Amino acid sequence: MRLSVIALSLICCVPTAVSAQSARQEKTINLPGGVSVEVAAISRAGNLVAAICSDHVVRVWSARSGELMRTIKQDTGRPSGVQFSGDGRLLAVSYETVPYEEGTIKVIDVDSWKVQSDLTSECMFCTLSFSPDGQRLASAGNSDTYVWDVATQKKVATISPPFGGSAALSFSPDSRWVATADGDGFVRVYNAKTGALRGTPTEFLLEPFTVAFGPDGKSVLAGGADRVISIIDSQDGKISRAIPKQPGLVETLDISANGKLAAVVYGAGELFTAVNHIALWDLDKGAVLVDFQKPGITIMGGTFVDDHYVFAAGSGNQLTLWLIH
Amino acid sequence: MLTRRDLLQKCVALGSVVIASQFSTEAMLAAFQDREKQVRKPTPQNTLGPFYKRLTPMNNMLRAPGDPGIPLTLAGQVFNTRGDIVPDATIEIWQTSHQGHYDLNGYRYRGKLKVDKSGAYTFESVIPGHYPDRVCQHTHYLVIAPGHKTLVTQLYFATDPVFEGDPVKNYARDPLIQTPELIRPVILTGEPNEVHAKVQFELCLERL
Repeated sequence: MRLSVIALSLICCVPTAVSAQSARQEKTINLPGGVSVEVAAISRAGNLVAAICSDHVVRVWSARSGELMRTIKQDTGRPSGVQFSGDGRLLAVSYETVPYEEGTIKVIDVDSWKVQSDLTSECMFCTLSFSPDGQRLASAGNSDTYVWDVATQKKVATISPPFGGSAALSFSPDSRWVATADGDGFVRVYNAKTGALRGTPTEFLLEPFTVAFGPDGKSVLAGGADRVISIIDSQDGKISRAIPKQPGLVETLDISANGKLAAVVYGAGELFTAVNHIALWDLDKGAVLVDFQKPGITIMGGTFVDDHYVFAAGSGNQLTLWLIH
Repeated sequence: MLTRRDLLQKCVALGSVVIASQFSTEAMLAAFQDREKQVRKPTPQNTLGPFYKRLTPMNNMLRAPGDPGIPLTLAGQVFNTRGDIVPDATIEIWQTSHQGHYDLNGYRYRGKLKVDKSGAYTFESVIPGHYPDRVCQHTHYLVIAPGHKTLVTQLYFATDPVFEGDPVKNYARDPLIQTPELIRPVILTGEPNEVHAKVQFELCLERL
């Protein structure tokens, strides 16, 4: 089996661009015939992968063995977003209850697979982010962004970008602040308890698609259609450094726990149909350590596990797990 | 003479109108009157898309002399759901070139204007090309006016081959189109070797 995976990897590597440092396929998970993966998330520990599948079912697998752990079906609507809490004990799944208008979020205890919280609002959600302390969950979509208290199921803050909603969210390491990448072309940082605006840089012209707080809490990385990775001072909102000329639209980025590495996923096209390119950056040197591109796959979600980056990719009715370092 | 309000009060008294609500009769009658004034349906919202660009200059002439493609005039008026003209609206549009490319470096085929006193607007552009990643030709609209909900929408062209001449039947071929209301007829004028297209797109904002 292992040999066949390696052989398959070698065959698949023919059209693949990859630098000398390694990117390897770790696991292949086969879905039922005709079913593909639309969105995926990997737990911080790298042990679980959850995916929204085209049959509107959320499936959770062991990332290590590939074993299917749980199939989650809800009658509430179409699943639109999925995310694990930092400790991997909670899984949030958002559903569109009225297309483009209303949504609900189920927060599920991963040990018992019971719904712990049910968060409903007049907004569609597709982006979810837990605070590092696990107490809050931020949700965003095409309209307002909400910060919820997971235990009480109450909204603690409502954030309203002028238009276009928010494409991405990130909490600060101390859970006090939340950064948003907004459709109107701004990155904003808010107080996660009150929703009060802390600061916003004005240098972006095109839409930012991704934000990530650095581990020191002082900086926020952002990127988007500008094809620039910007490092923003989270206090005054000014851009302290920029890494321009990225090879594609910066769709997602993630920072390692020591703040030295960033995994950047690039997309192309208005609907991001060609999201098959990922690079591992050394942030101190501003240099690419690994550059990996593979036509035919769609990179969906990932996480740093120590200095490795594990990500999920979909291709047909397969979900593949990759590791770069 | 009975006012509309008096008439409604009388209807309540005679049982012609029953207020089955936790709100006061006064509040419900006021809401009823307000809704009755709604004479226009708001323009449906449609996704912003990833290529909106801030600081678009005020400019309604988006095409340059010699630009390839069919010259296009986009025109209309801005109203609110009561049918009132909205004279202080700002309209911003962006689209691809004839070849289907968005300008991410500059502001080609991006423009912004303030409507005139009659709420009217006109942009001069070209019919956008098929962007490789989208099914249909489209022009993005952002309409902002004080006291009104910001409208983010897209205009589609009935002449788009994707619709095969029947937008009402085939609009869902583009998964981002939820209603055929956003697909507008195209009026062709001029000589056969100098065809000019015009699309009338009225915009209706919801009041806050």
